[in-house]
Parts: sequence; structure tokens; C-alpha cells
Amino acid sequence: MAVEYQPKIVGFLCNWCSYAGADLAGTSRICYPSNIRIIRVPCSGRVDPLLIVKSFQQGADGVLIAGCHPGDCHYSEGNYYARRRLALLHTFLEYIGIEEERFQIQWVSASEGKRWANVVSSFTEGLSILGPRETTLHKETV
Amino acid sequence: MDFSEEIRSKAKELLESGTVDCVIGYERATDGVGARPLFVYQPNDIDRLIFDQTCTHNLTKYLLNRKDKATAIVVKPCDSRAINLLINESQIQRDKVSIIGVVCPGVVKAGLDNTSGELQDTCRMCQQHTPVLYDFLVGELGLEPDVPDTYPDVTGMEDKSAGERRAFWEEQFSRCIRCYACRQVCPGCYCLECFVERLDPTWVGIRIAPGENEVWNTMRAFHLAGRCIDCNECERVCPVNIPLSLLNRKLGKEVEELFKFQAGIDAETPMPFSTFDKEEKLGISE
Repeated sequence: MAVEYQPKIVGFLCNWCSYAGADLAGTSRICYPSNIRIIRVPCSGRVDPLLIVKSFQQGADGVLIAGCHPGDCHYSEGNYYARRRLALLHTFLEYIGIEEERFQIQWVSASEGKRWANVVSSFTEGLSILGPRETTLHKETV
Repeated sequence: MDFSEEIRSKAKELLESGTVDCVIGYERATDGVGARPLFVYQPNDIDRLIFDQTCTHNLTKYLLNRKDKATAIVVKPCDSRAINLLINESQIQRDKVSIIGVVCPGVVKAGLDNTSGELQDTCRMCQQHTPVLYDFLVGELGLEPDVPDTYPDVTGMEDKSAGERRAFWEEQFSRCIRCYACRQVCPGCYCLECFVERLDPTWVGIRIAPGENEVWNTMRAFHLAGRCIDCNECERVCPVNIPLSLLNRKLGKEVEELFKFQAGIDAETPMPFSTFDKEEKLGISE
């Protein structure tokens, strides 16, 4: 029996807003897909593009970066730096053939548990429609 | 185009006056066709200096080994941008460098395997024939070229579908032997410890496999985003002919569009990733 395709998503969540937002979604008993594997980082500014490229190499179907809304960064300006870097990375990944739908950057605050659930649901749904990555790369990483 | 005489007389003047103790330039390579770097410390070596369209190397990489020593260097327009980059990033001091700038109509693909005199690909799209920074200028100040389409190669790639691009780059990266010649030759790659050689954690596995190669090539290019001065050296030295400039130039194009920034045009404008504008809209979560 064919098993339904389930995309693997790696999520990098800022400790101060998005991680707390995801926590709120949990404590509020909001259901959302379990396709996402969450990695907690101190700030979206901590997300080195290398982490994202590495995630895709290791077989991730999608990568989601979530951080505080601009202006709300715990470290005042980390997400402004992240925004520049990740915006460029997004177009670059698309250029090397990783569809733009596979990479998302979202601002989710600590009070937006509902929004967090929506973000993950729609991202997972988009990736399910897109299907697995057409690549020979991660067949080698077992 | 042969500027050898002008460069020799300038080098002689600088060395004999004691302004610098080394002139970095070019000499004829032993194959008799190409050029190779030459370090002149003694006035009697000055006659070995040459300059013509076979002088492809970007010599500014060598300035990083002579940070506190007064040095004269021969630069083409693209190389002169590398000097601005290195000053901007506090790697070299302007007052230690005497810059002999050369007006350059482009350099050729030179070597025993190619003596056609054909221009390098990026030179055909080059917009800058006069160095942006120099102390002495060799050659006639002329009109800058009028190239209507600066990035035809990049837009050509953008027009393909994601699947086609995926297949293209996977094929290219699969040939990489990870000799790191692209890094060694690049004036922007001066980290004392490159991420690719870090062992704990091992970001890039040591085996030569397509996935590892992709991480290396993607990150190498991305570390040069907004910093690449488009000298095409990485692509020239690549032993397996991966079109690395096609990656670098895409990032250059995007940085120009998003942040209105071009690397190495001056040494003062803050680098795009060390600054930000709170109000800017970059199409993220808006």
C-alpha cells in the first residue's frame, strides 16, 4: 500500500517570539501538522544561511524561519539583519533550483499561537501539493 | 594594447625613491603565451614586467600578505574594486598601497589550450574600463562602454524553470573536485578558517559527493554576496569549468536591485549586510 507523502519541514524559531508563539499554540490545544521539526535559536539573526542550505542537503522538503516582527526583536535589531540576508538567500535558492515555495520566512509573535498554526498548516499543505524534491542529492544521505 | 613600458617606468620610480619595497605586477609565463604574477623587489628585475590582454590574474589577493608593508600593485578596473572592498572591510590600509591602475578593454582566455584571443565572458559584459581607484593611471581615459544588458547570462538562467535549473546546477556541482582553487584565488575569501574546513561541527563532509559539493558551492557564492567584484578569477581557475560567475553575478544583480549597492565602487558605503533600513520592504511576511 502506498504511503501518503509527508513533507519534512525544518523550522528555525526565535526563542523570544515565535517559539513562545508555537508554545502558545500547544497550550491552547490548537491542532496543526506535525511535519515540522522545530529548532530553537536565540534570534532569527542567528540563522546562518548555511543552516538552511545544510537542511536542504540533508533532505528537508521545506525550511521555515520564524522570528519577531520587525521592531519587536529582543535584541533590538537582529531580525532586520536577518531580513536582508534571508531575502537574498530566498532568491538565490530559487536560482539554484529550490522552488521558492520550499522556503518561508514568517514573523510570528508570542501571542500569535493561532497564526503560528495557520502558517505551519498552509506551508505543509503547499509542500504536499508540490511533492517531493526532484533531486538526486539526498538519496546519498541515509 | 601593451602598457609594459609605462608600468616599468612607474615601477622604477617607486622602487628607486623608496616609496615601496615591492611592486606586484605581471610577467610572461613560461608557456610563452599567458602571464603570471611577478613580485619585483630589485630595480634590475623591472624589465620583466609586462601588461597586455593576457594579464588575467587579480593580484589584489597578494596585498593580504603584505598588510603593513608599502606595496605597489598593478590593477585592472575590476581588481581596483577589490582594493576598495578590502579597505572597506578593514583588511588593508590605503596609505600602504600605491595603485598603478590600467585602462582595460578586457582580458582574454589565455593559455596554451586557447590562443584565440577571445575575451573572457564577463569582460564582454563589463561596464567599467577605467579603475575606480588609482594613484597612477596607465592608458588613455576613454569613454566607458555602453553595454545595454549587463546580466544577459543571469536573466537567461532565470528564465528557465526551477526543475531545469535544479538539473543544471546538480550536474555542474557534481563535477566539483573541491580543490578550493576558487577560494584561494578570491580576494574576498580571506577568513583564517573557512567554514568548509571546520570539523566540529562538520558543515561540509570531506567526501566528494554531489550534496557536499552543493553546500560548498552555494555557501562560497553566498559569502560573496554584495562583496564579489566580478573579476571572474574563480571561474578562470576552476579545473572542471563550473560557471561560478553565473552564481556570483546573480547575487550581484540581486544586491544591486534590493539594496542599491555595488561592491567596491567606493570604500565608505557600509556593506549591505552590516546595515539595514527599518522601513525597507523585502517581500517577507508582508
